[in-house]
Amino acid sequence: MLFNSLEFFIFLPIVFGLYWLIGGKRLKAQNLLIAIASYVFYGWWDWRFLSLILFSSLVDYSIGLALGKNEKQSQRKILLWISICVNLGFLGFFKYYNFFVDSLVDSFTFFGSELSINTLNIVLPVGISFYTFQTLSYTIDVYNKKLQPTKDFVGFMAFVSFFPQLVAGPIERATNLLPQFAIERKFDYRNAVDGLRQVLWGLFKKIVIADNCAKYANIIFNNHTEYNGSTLLLGAFFFAFQIYGDFSGYSDIAIGISRLFGFNLKRNFAFPYFSRDIAEFWRRWHISLSTWFRDYLYIPLGGSKGGLKMKIRNTFIIFLVSGFWHGANWTFVIWGALNALYFLPLLLAKKNRVNTNLVAEGKYFPSLKEFGQMAFTFFITLIAWVFFRADSVAHAFSYLQNMFTTSLFSEIEVFPVTILSLVLFFIATEWLGRSGEYAIEKVDFMKKPIRWAFYMLLIVLMFSFTGEEQQFIYFQF
Amino acid sequence: MKKLLINIILFFLIAIVVGEVVVRLTHAIADIPQRTIDDHGIQKYFPNQDGYWKGGEHKWTVNKLGWPGELPESNDNLIMVIGDSFIENFMNPNECHQSAFLKANMKDYNFMEAGRSGVSLIEAMEISKQLDSLKPKQSLIYVNDEDFYESIVQVKSMKDITQLDIKNKTIRYGEMKAPGLKKVLYSWKLMYYFYNRFPLDNLINTNSKQEAATTNSEAEVKSYSTEINQLTEYIKQNYTISDKTLVFHPNSEQSIINICKDAGFKIIVLDSSNDDTWTFDHDPHWTCYGHKKAAEQISKDLLNSANLGAFR
Repeated sequence: MLFNSLEFFIFLPIVFGLYWLIGGKRLKAQNLLIAIASYVFYGWWDWRFLSLILFSSLVDYSIGLALGKNEKQSQRKILLWISICVNLGFLGFFKYYNFFVDSLVDSFTFFGSELSINTLNIVLPVGISFYTFQTLSYTIDVYNKKLQPTKDFVGFMAFVSFFPQLVAGPIERATNLLPQFAIERKFDYRNAVDGLRQVLWGLFKKIVIADNCAKYANIIFNNHTEYNGSTLLLGAFFFAFQIYGDFSGYSDIAIGISRLFGFNLKRNFAFPYFSRDIAEFWRRWHISLSTWFRDYLYIPLGGSKGGLKMKIRNTFIIFLVSGFWHGANWTFVIWGALNALYFLPLLLAKKNRVNTNLVAEGKYFPSLKEFGQMAFTFFITLIAWVFFRADSVAHAFSYLQNMFTTSLFSEIEVFPVTILSLVLFFIATEWLGRSGEYAIEKVDFMKKPIRWAFYMLLIVLMFSFTGEEQQFIYFQF
Repeated sequence: MKKLLINIILFFLIAIVVGEVVVRLTHAIADIPQRTIDDHGIQKYFPNQDGYWKGGEHKWTVNKLGWPGELPESNDNLIMVIGDSFIENFMNPNECHQSAFLKANMKDYNFMEAGRSGVSLIEAMEISKQLDSLKPKQSLIYVNDEDFYESIVQVKSMKDITQLDIKNKTIRYGEMKAPGLKKVLYSWKLMYYFYNRFPLDNLINTNSKQEAATTNSEAEVKSYSTEINQLTEYIKQNYTISDKTLVFHPNSEQSIINICKDAGFKIIVLDSSNDDTWTFDHDPHWTCYGHKKAAEQISKDLLNSANLGAFR
């Protein structure tokens, strides 16, 4: 079920009504309702893969209990590895099997011999990368004794399958989300209103910004040889806003819906395109994944304790794995590697934690230096997005080759004024609201009629610029 | 919770009013003319209506006879143009109607249109029968494969379309489908906008829709060839066909064309091969260009016949 579908607009009020009708004191019944609703939500896409979520929940719940009872380190380690193997095994099979087979066959062909292994017709279960990492965080945290294993299976099922963030995150930590299933949730008017506002902004990002930018990004990327350099740059610009609007829009909707149910999810995006360097960008983009890798991969690998060499090695590992997490294609690996390369000068100069505050805090406009830094950071991420969007590595290189020609300074061939105006309106709103959790969080200063008129404007824009229901990009990851 | 619900309801009520104003001002949805059923059982439009097409770029009009488009200046040398939504042609301005293009190509003749979306072949024959009182030289009846299936109760029963019951050899006139609801829907523009943008059948599995939508295949024609033969036989016996020309849409099924030829109909088959600009991007109807091209082919065919009454 898509957030931007009619089914969901029927589904959500029903679940919301039932949930608060049950009341916060009947916790088990509420958790059961969330679990059932989440399974319906997921099963709407393909009910067969519900068994995967159920199995994953059963395995990690049982291993959590076993870890709680077992004090022997060697046995605890075995239990942890069982969980890792089961979870990553599913992920590896569904997401990477064909990629590995193809890559193996290609390498044998490269060296002049033939290898015949058939690929399989595998359907990638939506959101498998997200819920796998979420359940893994539970087992690892229990193993590290940061979290007591839960004995409430229904609550655990609801945690794994929690529908607002099941298919595209934010990837919640068990330490943050799981305890919320064990305490009474109280309806809070301000929280609910804020949640609805965040949902509205998320839908605007998805329907108006992402889906409309997607149209032009697709046209330009799919016919890149026919366009000049400046148009190709615009194509990359459109994709940058497509992916940001799509993914951060989903996160906003997920966080907003969770607040309607009395849950607080972690922030996933913090205005990344206003970053002054690439390190800041990565502290603001897909925060739940970056911190997951930091805590469960970077730190266990030694983090930055072993000197500069280890820091660089671990940074590269994190970015390569992060790229690979996004999809079974070398384009994602190169995208990751490119970001690691961008990071390198900052690491060497030990300037990767310079810009930790909000850019131009309390001011309407950034300084010239800040503007230049933001523009440069945005530009290099744009180049990296070309690899992310391209169908193949050859496609990406060909795109960049055609872009970086003298035609980069010629007239743009595709110039949709309306869509660009909307993007401009979006950037301005994000800039003005950058001190909040999301852009329109702090609109309370407006009087109610003006505030409501603003909401109406967003809704009118949504209906005016909506096309066919578009799936969220991150579902495929 | 109570406060939230009250605010949500209030917000939605205001949103409905705002939405209605926006949809009307921007013509986000086309105005739909209201229909009636005349004394002969033919569904047509209330006369003298007009409204905007989606986007508000042009207006459609319904003439005093209850058919979309403009009436000819004179009924001398009259040629009738009868058909479904392609002839109704609300999506194009009046100057892009078949009658306008045909008149431009055949200045000695006058053209009058009688089009309504959903018209089947048998309904087109009924319409032509009513319009014979105007003594047209010819009637051009625009058809596609579906118009044959939709003409026969036993093949595709449709209550809102005039059909032939081939068993009893009787005409079953179409009924107005949910006229009250339609009136509400067409007047409450915001609701109609939602109804169009988010069709409820999207909720039904798309696979089953695709299976149900198999039409026009050679196999289907073969399986219904007896019924189509019975239909053409009925038409031959009950209507004058000597002054009727069937204008087949491009890519019509050859076996249906052959059945009609064998039954003695005059035929014009339109050809849009190597030209995919006849239709809109997201609408199978012809653009102004498509109408122009169709009219060019028809007028060429008509003018090539020395005598309009005996061509081909």
